[in-house]
Amino acid sequence: MFQQVDFSALELPAPARKLQQEVREFLRAEIAAQAFKPHLGHTEFNAEFTRKVAARGWIGMTWPKRYGGQERSYLERFVATEEMLAVAAPCAAHWFGDRQIGPSLLRYGTEQQKQRFLPAIARGEYSFALGMSEPNSGSDLASVKTRAERVPNGWRVTGQKVWTSWAHKAHAFFVLCRTAPDSGDRHEGLSQLVVELNAPGVTVRPIRFMDGYHHFNEVFLDNVFVPDAMVVGAIGQGWKQVTSELALERSGPERYMTTFPLFTELMRRLGAAPEARALEMAGKLTARLWSLRRMSLAIAMTLDPGPDGDQGSPKATVDLATEAALVKDMGTFYEREIIDAARLLFDVEPTPDAADTFERYLAETIVCAPVSTIRGGTTQVLRSLIARKLLGPLK
Amino acid sequence: MSDTSDIRAMLIESATRLFTDHGDARLLDAAKRDGWSPALWRIVEEAQLPLVSIAEEAGGAGGSLSDLAAVLRIAGRYAAPIPLVETALAGWMLASCGLPIGTGPLAFGPVHGETVAARRHGTQWSLSGSMRRVPWARIAQRLIVLVSGPAGAMVACVDPKQCKLSPGRNLADEPRDDVMLDNVVVSGSLVAPADPGVHHATLRLRGALARSLLMAGALDRTLELAVRYSTERTQFGRKIGQFQAIQQELARFAGEVAAAVAASLSAAGALERGEDSLLAVASAKIRTAQAAHEGALIAHQVHGAIGVTDEHALHHSTLRLWAWREEFGNEAAWAAELGRSIATAGADQLWPLLTKD
Repeated sequence: MFQQVDFSALELPAPARKLQQEVREFLRAEIAAQAFKPHLGHTEFNAEFTRKVAARGWIGMTWPKRYGGQERSYLERFVATEEMLAVAAPCAAHWFGDRQIGPSLLRYGTEQQKQRFLPAIARGEYSFALGMSEPNSGSDLASVKTRAERVPNGWRVTGQKVWTSWAHKAHAFFVLCRTAPDSGDRHEGLSQLVVELNAPGVTVRPIRFMDGYHHFNEVFLDNVFVPDAMVVGAIGQGWKQVTSELALERSGPERYMTTFPLFTELMRRLGAAPEARALEMAGKLTARLWSLRRMSLAIAMTLDPGPDGDQGSPKATVDLATEAALVKDMGTFYEREIIDAARLLFDVEPTPDAADTFERYLAETIVCAPVSTIRGGTTQVLRSLIARKLLGPLK
Repeated sequence: MSDTSDIRAMLIESATRLFTDHGDARLLDAAKRDGWSPALWRIVEEAQLPLVSIAEEAGGAGGSLSDLAAVLRIAGRYAAPIPLVETALAGWMLASCGLPIGTGPLAFGPVHGETVAARRHGTQWSLSGSMRRVPWARIAQRLIVLVSGPAGAMVACVDPKQCKLSPGRNLADEPRDDVMLDNVVVSGSLVAPADPGVHHATLRLRGALARSLLMAGALDRTLELAVRYSTERTQFGRKIGQFQAIQQELARFAGEVAAAVAASLSAAGALERGEDSLLAVASAKIRTAQAAHEGALIAHQVHGAIGVTDEHALHHSTLRLWAWREEFGNEAAWAAELGRSIATAGADQLWPLLTKD
């Protein structure tokens, strides 16, 4: 693992360091002005905050300038992202557009699609959601049943998507669907379409999280017309498009930092001279985070192709997919270690109504703890993938 | 940038070849009996590996701390039964105060913070004190001792034959000897004021980093053995690697190894660049010790009963992992120290500290 990486030489370059300070200052001012109230667990949709981030040029940072981007490096994007996560900034309104939709459109989209969507995402005015999972397609994504039938000038889409975060607030979503009957190879015949969420035939219904929070939805598509112009990439190439570029996405700081603000509050509550057990727990949490960040950073720097071209990022020459899976696997468990340390060091009965930030964060993270090892590749699927790489073909 | 990485790649290749050619199972078995491998030492010394990262003008082989780190990881991978780390660190102590490095295996102490007092007698020095569990003391031609002189810390080059040695060993039968200095007389030319960077805390820091790197290498090896065994061993009519239960453990193991490698090599780079060395080295020792704990047990579980015998090569690595994780501070000791430093800095400095480097 990580054979292509020289960890001892890994250092943030000066522009990334400068950006780190800029983002940190911006967030400090936002928090001081109470522009947002951080919540842990569920990332929040805050259109106003997203527009402020956009105004600073921090959405679509790596994209070409002619599509509203800044032509900055992926590493700078990494730095901006980890700063947002460190204070649980409400990024949901631009998260998917910035992270998945933009890169996909750059690589596979038509000129018309790029011009229509990318500058709008970068301005913080257009939100996307992701329509991947279905009631019977979770880990096994290739089994999606949503179908698109060919009609003059477009497609008619029918099916159901689930766990569609923020579909009730977003403008459109990417739908992975079957455009040809299953021919035996399940990875064939899948395509990606942009479906506007206010289109006739689209119904969005909430699925409430166990704490009552609403970001998940189920989205019903009943004979929805999608014009040819909204097909992303080539018909039948959906699987390849969805699974490319997984390494950067899988190993990002969002995989190990969603409970970090609780760690900060834990240190605040512990004060300057904690007892021995607390010191040891805090030291271990620090060491594990430092190590995870080094791995995540290594992937970001090794795969960093520099700013995107008009066709999206050049194909990475190094394969770090297995390493990325390792980071996600370990990162998601690390997030729980913070929760457990916080729980065990203080005698607190968690309640979401707590006035104290530490206590509220504790309640919020406990309830959301199961999610991170399920979304974006379950622990078990990731470990199977890692083992296949380790063992090679066995007969 | 590419120059240094090319040189590093060549160094890694030649060190790997050297240990592959010479570090076989028979050599390791013999070293368990003899305490070390003089034959391997001669080859490693000839290749100047113990002197990597010490400047050529000081009698070293040149190169950076990261180069040495790469070599130590390989030595750990082959469970090299020689005082490579000790000679490298003793050489660093000597070079930093202008004393000659010379040849032959070296050991250094104290490694547990004891005080060895130095008193002047004309042109000579007289040293007294005791040092617990000094690695490889009885193998070393010279003992490099951090002593406490009338005007501050000094480095002294001592003939071990002048000391009273009580042999001891660690779990892997590596020499860990108690050393007693009872008015040991040393010529003035072999004693010099210590460089300000050489004191008990930095010996512990560098020792911990070195053990982390050895552990990273030993973990590479145990994972390799476990993966290979999973592709060879058949039970219930299938290779055991075909069972998901084994696959899930191997994947977890690979994560631990990757984290150990990332942390230990990153820490070497941080120390080389003069960054926050407590954060980096403490993190490396904590993370590699945790990985050693998880990894060694998974490796044994995968191997089943054969892995716990002295015939099977696995124990050379796992016994060392269990020994090295304690040396120069275990994960609890380093975690307490790191925890204290972040608590003192305060909650609002936690994230800035973590991202400073």
